[in-house]
Amino acid sequence: MVRLPTRSADWRLMGRTARLVVTAPTYAVVALVGAVLALTAFVASLNVTLVADTLSLPIGTAAKVETLLSLYPFVGSAYTAVQGGLLVVVALALGVNLAMLAYHFREHGFSLQQSGGSVAGAVLGALGAGCAACGSAILLGILSLLGISTSLLWLPLDGLEFAVLALAVVLLSTYWLADGMRGGEINGCPIDV
Amino acid sequence: MKQGSGDVTFDHSSATAINDQPTLGDREWQGVIVAFEDPSCPTCRRFNQNTFPRVRSDLVATGDVAYVLRGYPVVYPWGDPASHALEAAFDRDPAAMWDLKAHYFDQQGQFSTDNVLDRTATFLNGETGVDGDAVVADVESDAVDDAVQTDLDAGQAAGASGTPTFYLFRDGEYQTTVSGAQDYSVFENVLTG
Repeated sequence: MVRLPTRSADWRLMGRTARLVVTAPTYAVVALVGAVLALTAFVASLNVTLVADTLSLPIGTAAKVETLLSLYPFVGSAYTAVQGGLLVVVALALGVNLAMLAYHFREHGFSLQQSGGSVAGAVLGALGAGCAACGSAILLGILSLLGISTSLLWLPLDGLEFAVLALAVVLLSTYWLADGMRGGEINGCPIDV
Repeated sequence: MKQGSGDVTFDHSSATAINDQPTLGDREWQGVIVAFEDPSCPTCRRFNQNTFPRVRSDLVATGDVAYVLRGYPVVYPWGDPASHALEAAFDRDPAAMWDLKAHYFDQQGQFSTDNVLDRTATFLNGETGVDGDAVVADVESDAVDDAVQTDLDAGQAAGASGTPTFYLFRDGEYQTTVSGAQDYSVFENVLTG
């Protein structure tokens, strides 16, 4: 049966487990690098051609660096503050999730459910970034393919719904990881709350 | 500002029939931006409010870059009649077309499939020298269907998966593709860097 974090104790367990994992320097680095890579993947997935072409364009190095950095939220103008904030939160959550996955893998081996949640979160995060940056067209296209009428559809987050979904999936994956580590200890600290 | 001069031939799908398209500047200038936009697209609105004014003042007005507009109504349904109205307005007065485009983005939240043609006629009759009722008649009579379809075909052939999508040319050569409401620096670096 799929367990869901429905009680406040479940959320405290997630928080405590995540905190214990990322307070270990190695896993803090894994979380940070994972978050940066996730954010990079989100923004680059929308402009794969631009990223690839920029490297070979006959322009100066400073111009290339500025062009690539401007694709990120809060650096360039591609995302609103809400969209950028949500993408950063999804990337950070995914980074922590990956650190916990790495810890769990070292201690207990892989679980399909737990790692599958992380992958699903990453994919949905990329879709969320794409939808946020290109006017919901991707989401509307997918809904149309599924036979859902989009003629009267109004997306309150302008397509960022995928990013919200990604956050939910990543949090669910994080809960499963924390739940799987229940009863153990990290750096001598018990995980149970 | 120079309106739509210069006959060019670019070997790229996005530039099909480029010499017939609404253009700010001279298509023979060093840089050319071919922009696929949807009046109903929230991300296009952000681009037009945040980035486009600087593209216009710092790249087009200086004689460095021409801006070619192509309709790509793929987001919300009212974007389709709005794109038709832009074509019909362009046939009568290119300057009025650019004013109407700005009006769509400025008032984007006010438009729907039910009111777009009425509001379009009211704006053109009140704020420009173009006969708004004649423009609406053109939209309803399918007189500009071919022009809109030419843009849609060009966008699809070029692989535009959403809006806004920009194809950048420098000295007649395709450089790269930009998706989303990206920063002014992206356009400046690629086209003049």
